[in-house]
Amino acid sequence: MALTKRIIPCLDVSDGHVVKGVKFENLEGVGYPPDLAQRYESQGADEIVFLDITASIEARQTLFESVEKTVEKLFIPLTVGGGIRSVEDMRAALKAGADKVSISSAAVQSPDLIDDCVNTFGRQRMMVAIDAKREGDSWIVYTQGGRKNTGIDVISWATEVQDRGAGEILLTSMDADGTTNGYDLELTDSVSEAVSIPVIASGGCGGPEHMYDVFQQTGASAALAASIFHYGAWTVSQVKDYLRDKGVAIR
Amino acid sequence: MARMIRRSVKYPDSTDSYRIGQRPKVRVSIADYGVGNLHSIHKALEIAGARPVIESNMRNLMDADAIVFPGAGIFNNAMKSLDHYRDIIFDRLNAGTPCLGIGTGAQILFETDEYSGTTGIGLIKGSITQFPIGKNPHMGWNVVKSDNRMFEGVKSPFFYFAHSQYYSPKEDVVIGTTDYMGEFPSVIRKKNVFGTQFYPEKSSASGAMFLRNFVKYLEEKL
Repeated sequence: MALTKRIIPCLDVSDGHVVKGVKFENLEGVGYPPDLAQRYESQGADEIVFLDITASIEARQTLFESVEKTVEKLFIPLTVGGGIRSVEDMRAALKAGADKVSISSAAVQSPDLIDDCVNTFGRQRMMVAIDAKREGDSWIVYTQGGRKNTGIDVISWATEVQDRGAGEILLTSMDADGTTNGYDLELTDSVSEAVSIPVIASGGCGGPEHMYDVFQQTGASAALAASIFHYGAWTVSQVKDYLRDKGVAIR
Repeated sequence: MARMIRRSVKYPDSTDSYRIGQRPKVRVSIADYGVGNLHSIHKALEIAGARPVIESNMRNLMDADAIVFPGAGIFNNAMKSLDHYRDIIFDRLNAGTPCLGIGTGAQILFETDEYSGTTGIGLIKGSITQFPIGKNPHMGWNVVKSDNRMFEGVKSPFFYFAHSQYYSPKEDVVIGTTDYMGEFPSVIRKKNVFGTQFYPEKSSASGAMFLRNFVKYLEEKL
C-alpha cells in the first residue's frame, strides 16, 4: 500500500455560510463551515477545501473567522482559497489556520506571486487553482470566478505553475461543473500527464462512480466534490467504501 | 551585587489542575519560530492531555520541560529564525529535554539541508535530501510502518504527509518507514528526541493517538 487517493469535500463559502451554486449562480445556503468540515472529517474526508466565492475584502475577514473556528475542531488539512492576491494575504490565511492556500486569478495576473509564496512558505502549502473551459481541441484558462477568458492554454499554464514551484493543482472543468455528469476525464488526463505534481480533479461529480472513473482513467491524485456531500446524497464514508470495494487505494 | 539565580521552581498558573489525586498536566513548549500555523498542534496537544504553551522567545526554550518544533516551513527560513539559539537548543536537547519535531521541525535537527546548503542544529547526524523530480511533493495519506510504542493503539496506519524532502540520517535513528516508490524514513528517534515527517495534528484519530502516546511518554519522564 502506498500513497492513497484523496477525497476532498469542497465548501464554497459566501459571507460565513457554505453555499452551492450551479455555475456560480443561484447560490443556496447549505450550512455553517465549521459544522460541515467537522462532519466530513468524522466521515473520513482526507482534506477540506474552503473557497471564498465572493472574495471581497470584507468577505475575506468573515472567511478567516470561519477558518479560525473550523481549525479549532478539525484535525485534517484545510486549504483556503478565493481572493488571495499577495504574500501578505497568504500569510493572513495561514495565520488564521489554513494549512494550504489556493490562488487563482492573481497567479495568472502576476505569475511571480507563485514563486514569492513558494519561497516564503514552502511549495507544500501552495495550491494553484485553474478554471478550464474547452475551446475546440484545447482548454483555455478562465479567471474572475469564470467570467474572464484569459486566452491562455491550460496545459502550458499548468506546466508553468509547476515550474514556478506550486505544490499541487486544483483543476476545475467549467464545462462539467454543476452538471453532476462526471469529471472532465480528458482534461484531467491531459493535465496530470503534463505535470508531475498532484492534480485535484474538480467539477461535475455526481457520485462515487465518477470518482472511480477519474482515478481509473486519469492520473488525478484527489477528487473534489461539493453537492453530493452537502445534500446528503452520499456520505464521504459511503463514497470511500464504494471506491475501496473497486480496488482504489483509499484511506 | 545579588547573584543572578535562574528560577528553577515552576510556579503553577491558573490552568494547572489542583484536584487531589490528579497530577498537573505536563507543560509542552511549542516553538513559534516561523510562519507555521500553531492552532492545530496546540489544540491537538491539549486533547492529548498536555498543557501546551506557545513560545515565541526562543531563549525561553532553556526553561522548557518539553519542546515541540512544529512543521510546515522551509529549512533555511526556519534556521534563519533559530540561528542565534542554535547552541541553546542543541544543549537543551542533548541534556535530555524531551522533544518532538514535526516535518521541517525535525529536519532542522539534522546537520545540513542538501538543497539549500543550510546548516541545521546538528543534533542528529545526517542530512535532508530532496525527492527526485517526478515524485515531488509527497502529498496525502500514506502508511507508517513502525512497532514503536508511539504507535500503540493506533487503529489506522495512515498519516498525513506534505513534503518534498526527507530525512537521510547517518546514525541509527529510524523507527518508522513509509513507502513512496521506495521506503523512506518517516519517523526517527534519538534518545529523548522524536521526529515525524507526517503531521500528527493533521492525521485525524491516528495522529491524536500518536500524540497521546507522546504525552504519556512525557508523563513518565517528567
